Amino acid sequence: MATTATEYFPGWAPAVTGIVPSVGDYQGADAGETFVRSLYAEHGRSLLAYATRLTGDRAAAEDVVQETLVRAWKHAADLNKGAGSVRGWLLTVARNIVTDRARARAARPAEVADVVDRPPVEGDHSDAVVNTMVVLGALDQVSPEHREVLVELYYRGRSVAEAAQELGVPPGTVKSRTYYALRALRAVMAGSEAEVAR
Amino acid sequence: MSEHSQLGAYALGALDADEAREVEAHLADCAECRAELVELEELKEFLGEVPPEAFLDGPPEGGDLLLQRTVREVREAAAAPSAVATPVAPVAKKRGRWLLVAAAVVVVAGALGGGVLIGRQTVEQADGPVPGSVQVSATDAASGATMATTVEPRENWTWIRVRITGLKPGAECEMYVTDKAGKVWTAGSWVVTEQAAREGSRFGGGVLISPDQVKSVEIKTVQGAHVVTTTI
Ligand SMILES: [Zn+2]
Repeated sequence: MATTATEYFPGWAPAVTGIVPSVGDYQGADAGETFVRSLYAEHGRSLLAYATRLTGDRAAAEDVVQETLVRAWKHAADLNKGAGSVRGWLLTVARNIVTDRARARAARPAEVADVVDRPPVEGDHSDAVVNTMVVLGALDQVSPEHREVLVELYYRGRSVAEAAQELGVPPGTVKSRTYYALRALRAVMAGSEAEVAR
Repeated sequence: MSEHSQLGAYALGALDADEAREVEAHLADCAECRAELVELEELKEFLGEVPPEAFLDGPPEGGDLLLQRTVREVREAAAAPSAVATPVAPVAKKRGRWLLVAAAVVVVAGALGGGVLIGRQTVEQADGPVPGSVQVSATDAASGATMATTVEPRENWTWIRVRITGLKPGAECEMYVTDKAGKVWTAGSWVVTEQAAREGSRFGGGVLISPDQVKSVEIKTVQGAHVVTTTI
């Protein structure tokens, strides 16, 4: 049986189609404007903060966000198929723009130090590719309680005690939820394999 | 039980020092928890693929001019349909080594305990290549590596599988995909195990282009040495 993208990653795969050029349902200037405004209202803060960190420069970051949103509009039809990971798509495109620009600016020679940002690679068994869209898509599929505890502890770097206060639950609950959140995330990601193996 | 449910917070580094010591004392005696911790730490690696800014919502502060500029650009582009219909023109550029930072965009590898996400097993279990796949192979005279490449269509993106023989154990490899416009995409990186060096190393990676846009697939080492290229 043919394996489709959806079987690989149920729920988020259509977002990956965002790169295919298509103006889709947003051809008119008004529709385009509405689309871009809605993306900006929902994702603008996330995008600009990310681009600012990557570029270290607010003006450059604004340019990146502008180009990201324009690209999103050009690919609107595809982007809309997978609402769950629109943000993952936007963040990925923003990062690509930043790196493309940096590359254009300075074709620097090889520098070992530059590879430190690479994730660790271990073992030939790990011949899988996971990216921002995959993980964000998986996080969209776990329950809100699980997601928020991972966001507090991992992405916001909070301690159990701080997260307990923030979320208004006992520290013991934060701990057990964290554990079950990771298990749930694992199940979502492993679930895609079960689909494939079917 | 209490130690077990603390493992998640421990893996994420969120316990206080006393609690962490308790967990570590338990880990010293409990192989089950040690094994579980390995899995949880792999998940932590995955979480690292998403930037923390992904969890900010709403419009940015003080971004009104940015929004106006963006809207203007969209309106102008919409007024010139031919410009809009043109795919975002990728600029062919030479890839600098330092852009391995960028490689992190599309890459991370990892196994989830028993269940590799899209791992070798999955690839092997698939019922052969999906319809519309293209298979090519090539041998590089200089490196001695032979690669069989399968380009599989997905829903508007492409999954590329390779099987390479003649690699050295421990080699850190990266897959680069060049599209017909000359743009180079990174499709992942991996390390060649002893077994893979003997039996052939398999790797798969996704690129966000349609399969008919794939021009060639090149493997390089992380150090930048060319290994082998297949032209589709
Ligand atoms: Zn235990």
